[in-house]
Formats: sequence, structure tokens, C-alpha cells
Amino acid sequence: MSEARPESQSAVPSEGRSVGGWFLYALGFYNPISWIGWLARVWVRQFGLGPFSFVILNAVRNQRRATLTVLSVASSCALLVTLLTLQRELTVPPESEGASLRIIARNKVSLAQPLPAKQLSIVERIPGVVAVSPFTFFGGNYKGEEMTSFAQFAVDPARFRGLLVEGRISDGSYDDFIRDRNSCFVGADTMKRYHLKIGDRMKFTGTFYPVDLDLRIAAVFQGTVDDRGVFFHHKLLDELTGDPGTVGTWYLRVASAEVSNDVIARVNKAFENSSAEVRAETERAFQMGFISMLGNVKVLTLSISAVVVFTLMLVTVSTMSMAIRERFRELAILKALGYRRRELFSFILAESFGLAALGAVVGIGGAWAVWTFVDLQRLTNGFLVYFEVTVRTMAWGAAVAATLGILAAIGPSVAVARMSVVEGLRTLD
Amino acid sequence: MEAPIVVIRDLSKIYRQGEVQVTALNRVSLQISAGEFVVLMGPSGSGKSTLLHIIAGIDRASSGEVRVQGINVANLDESQLADWRNQNVGFVFQSFNLIPVLTAHENVELPLLLTALGRRERRQQVDLALNLVGLGDRGHHRPDQMSGGQQQRVAIARALVTDPALIVADEPTGNLDARSAHDVLGILQSLSRDAGKTVLMVTHDPKAAVFGTRELHLEKGELARDLVQE
Ligand SMILES: Nc1ncnc2c1ncn2[C@@H]1O[C@H](COP(=O)(O)OP(=O)(O)OP(=O)(O)O)[C@@H](O)[C@H]1O
Ligand SMILES: [Mg+2]
Repeated sequence: MSEARPESQSAVPSEGRSVGGWFLYALGFYNPISWIGWLARVWVRQFGLGPFSFVILNAVRNQRRATLTVLSVASSCALLVTLLTLQRELTVPPESEGASLRIIARNKVSLAQPLPAKQLSIVERIPGVVAVSPFTFFGGNYKGEEMTSFAQFAVDPARFRGLLVEGRISDGSYDDFIRDRNSCFVGADTMKRYHLKIGDRMKFTGTFYPVDLDLRIAAVFQGTVDDRGVFFHHKLLDELTGDPGTVGTWYLRVASAEVSNDVIARVNKAFENSSAEVRAETERAFQMGFISMLGNVKVLTLSISAVVVFTLMLVTVSTMSMAIRERFRELAILKALGYRRRELFSFILAESFGLAALGAVVGIGGAWAVWTFVDLQRLTNGFLVYFEVTVRTMAWGAAVAATLGILAAIGPSVAVARMSVVEGLRTLD
Repeated sequence: MEAPIVVIRDLSKIYRQGEVQVTALNRVSLQISAGEFVVLMGPSGSGKSTLLHIIAGIDRASSGEVRVQGINVANLDESQLADWRNQNVGFVFQSFNLIPVLTAHENVELPLLLTALGRRERRQQVDLALNLVGLGDRGHHRPDQMSGGQQQRVAIARALVTDPALIVADEPTGNLDARSAHDVLGILQSLSRDAGKTVLMVTHDPKAAVFGTRELHLEKGELARDLVQE
């Protein structure tokens, strides 16, 4: 009789199968790995055996192990892509043309320190400045929310109009916003999310400021990089807080990107040695600086990625070397039949690389599909907005998978190279 | 007698394990002519497999000379040796050592994938070899769908498909019942007698020995007896 039936996957008789048994059966039947084996068989029957089909037949001969290898590569790729996308989301603020034309001037001491309102007349007169408005972060919570994810800013509506470069008024009237000091100017995303319409009221509870707001929606904007914000009259804030004569920051627009550095220098210079020294920077630089307050996101995500990839690498490498070690005897036979090291290397590398590539397709494709088609903005309450899986990120995932495939092949290849035919024949299977 | 196909002079094989030296083969000298069916016998550990492996080019001698068809095998490097084995030696082992994911046909085809033969020619050769071992209709079966005797016949087909001059078999009937063993020995015998192959077979079974044309006995690495039969 046949002395060993290594890895044969004959169908289990169907009667007397438990629920778990049925589950495993379905898993085997619906496992694409088994379809690949089946396709390879059909291929060989049609076109004859070749190195390529030999590699595929070997790669999928043990369904469970092939599945494990593919899934470990897939999950490491998916995790990596997700972490890199998260990092990008947190550290790279959405780019806009206007962002380089806009400058934010804040107190040099810290963002939390206000600036005197009377600085306006000086800022206004600095050459290169086209528009300027006070810009004060209110940071309130919308009607009963614990932590509202969109920002509210107090601005001077008439002046603020000059800062609106991109986007358009999609509903209501900006003039109405200017006229009514109890009104607000709201981003279309926020309108949609809370099912609001022109004339509705938005109530905010202050967190930094001990005051609450009750605003009427006068106008809606759409088409900026972030259509979520709510803007209201600085005068209203002043009135509610007893007119302290301060603003959070100055928001200015310069004539062109070329002059922005000059303008920054002039603004900083203008208030040097005054009681409220100013630090001006482009909106983009400001956002980046804001991010760094979140902690070193980059280092964090990179180190998590490294740990994840390393752990899964161990899994992949060990399943792969298991696959080869189990087959030592067969490889010894191939050697005896005249196959050289080089050919055996190619078999091992192709198998390892093929499984890794499959894992990459599943993992990267899966991550891309999920992050592209799941409405994360809604799920995360607006914390994650774009979460765009870029080609660059996917390329990183693919590179890691390729590395995994190659690394996993090295150990077994070295072992096979060292093995003499006689030794290999002596190993029992 | 025909020109010798295998010429061995003062062949020794010594294994060193730390301080201990095991002499597996001790100054063996021997000639085998083309077409002979040599049966190699001897107690366990006497060096039979070692001698077979060295002649077949999958192991190297410690000293002495081995020439097969005039070629000094020791002078070939790894990849030349691989080519040489592919063209000149067929292997049959005790445990049949077929590749489980391949059918009988594909197993037999394996050594041919290294040659320049086209698909059609390969198919013809494989069919010929399978017919020769009486398994012409079993080509599409996988090893686990065949009996031990059938698997060993597939292994023999694989050994002869490249038409090598030399076929080596290490206890080919060791895992078989009497009937299958008889079939396998019959095939090896006809390969030597009708097809002119040189067959070198290691066996423990005295009944198997009668199929050969010559009986060699090894004892403690030395050639003890050499009987040419009629
Ligand atoms: N890799 C090795 N390292 C050390 N000693 C070895 C090695 N291979 C074989 N030997 C020794 O060489 C001697 C001959 O071994 P060999 O396998 O040729 O014997 P054999 O005649 O084929 O025996 P058997 O009938 O049991 O197969 C034995 O004493 C064995 O222990
Ligand atoms: Mg032996």
C-alpha cells in the first residue's frame, strides 16, 4: 500500500459532519486557494507540465498552510497600508492653493495667548496684505455633543469675505450673514451631517469661553478643502465676553505666493519688542505645527508598523520554511534527477513570492476597498475625513510583501543548497 | 565480455564524527560491464548504499577513483554532476519517492523537463516508459491513488525515461509484497537483458538475487564475494 499520503486532500465523506465540520468544508470549498490548485490542474492537463505549473501545484498543495501564508502577508499589508494612510491623514493637512496664500499670525508665546485687537490697523497697512480678519477659535460643543469634531471661529464677516479664495456660497446669502450679528456661515458637510437648512439655529456650549452661542444659519459654503467649519461674528463673541479687546489670531491673505515670506517677516517685525509679539506663518505651516502638538504621530505609526510587519514576517518566514522542510526529501529526489540548485532556488523563490504576491493583492486591495468605500467621516464622527489610500502607500505595501516573499525564501534556499542528496533522502517524511 | 561501464579503483569512504572515524568503504576495486545486472548484498551497515550513491554521483568518495563510461565523476562540479546524472543515471529507491502532487505521467516527465525535448516528444517518451512497466493506462493517477507496487513501477519508468546507461536501485522491493516485488524484479531484469541497461541493485532478499547476472557481497566496507551467475 501507499506508505505515506502526504497532504492529500481527499474530500471528507459528507455524512456525519458536525456544524464545525461543515464550516471547515465550506471554507475549503470557497477558499480561492483551492480554485487556484484546480485551475493549475486544468492548465497542466491542457498544456502539459512546466516549471510554472509545478510551482503552483506545490504552492497550494497544503491548503491550510498556503492560506495561512497568504493571510499573514495580507494582514500585514492591510495593516501597513492602514497605518500609513492614518499617518498621512494626521500629518499632511489637505492641500489647497489658498493655503499658501493665507497667513496666520498668532501670539509668539503660545497659541492660547490672545492678541490685542488694536493690532489690526497695523497689520492692515503692511504691504502685500490683501485682506485680514480676526480669527478666534471658539471650540464649543454642538448641541449636547461631548466632543464636537468641527471647529467654530469668530471672524469679521466683511473682512473674512476677502479671505475666501476657493469654494462658493452654495445656499443662503453672505450679505445676510454680514448683516445679522447672530447668524453664522456654515460648511456644507456640516449642514448635511446634521440635516440643517438655512434659517435653522445652531447652539454651541463654550469650552474655552464661559459663554454659549445661539446662531441662525445665514449662508452655506462648499468646495473648500474642508467644508465643515462654522463662522460667526467676532462682535458677538466680544459682546458675550465683555469686550476684552483681544482676538485669537489674525488671518490674512497675501497678494501672491511669492510675497508671502516678505509679508511674514514684516508682520513679525511690526510687533517686535511690543507687549504682544507675533509669530506669523502660512496656513499650511500653521496646520503642521498644530499636528506636532498631537505628539509624534509619525514615529508612533512607524514603530507600530515595524512591529506588526516584523511579527507577521516571522509567521510568513516560518510557514514558508516549514513548507520547504517538509519537502526536503522530494527536493533531494529532484536533485538526484538532475535538477540543480539554481532550479530548486527558483522553485522556492517563485513559490514564496507567488504566495506573498497573492497576499499583497488581497491585503492591499482589501484595505483600499474598505477605506475607499466606507464612509469614515461618518463613522469616526468627522475625525477622519479623507483617509485616502494613495498609490504611494500601496506601493509601500507591495514592497513590504515582496520583501517578505524574498526573505521567506532565503532560509529554505540556504538549507536546500547545503543539503546533499543522500542527506535529503535520509530525512523521513 | 563487454567494455566495463563502471571502473572502481581503491575506493574508500570515511565518515568523521568528531574523534570517531567510520570506514564505510575500504579500498574497494571493481568493474561492471555494460548490460550486467549486479546484485549488491551484505549485512546492514556494510556500505552497500554508500557504494551505490558514489557510483550514481550523489555522494563523493574520500579517496580512490570512480569512472563511469570513462568519465571521472570526482572531477565534475555540482552542476556538471547534476547534468551527468540527468543523462546517465536512473534512480529507484526503497520508498518510491514520487512527488505526491503530480500524476504518474508528470512524475515520469520530471527528468525530461531538464532536456531540450519538446512537449510531444516528452509525451511519447513518458508513454513508452509507462507502457514498459505495464502502467500505460495509469498515467493520470496520483501516487496516493496507486498501490505500492504500482508506485515503484512508476519510479522505474521515471528512472528509465531519459534512456540512461545505468540504473541504480536501493532495496527497490523492500516495501513491497512478494507479488509486486516479483513484478519489479522482472522489469529490472528485462531492462538489463533486453534493453542492454546496466543495473545495480542493493537488496537483502536472497530470492531477489537470482534475478541478477552477478552477485557482489560487501562486508564491513570490503568486497567479500563476487559471483558471476550463468
Ligand atoms: N552520514 C553519515 N555519517 C556517519 N556515518 C555514516 C553516514 N552515512 C553512513 N554512515 C555509516 O557508513 C556505514 C555504511 O552505511 P550504508 O548506509 O552504506 O550501509 P548499508 O549497507 O546500506 O546498510 P543498510 O543495509 O542498513 O541500508 C554504516 O556504518 C553507517 O553507519
Ligand atoms: Mg542502505
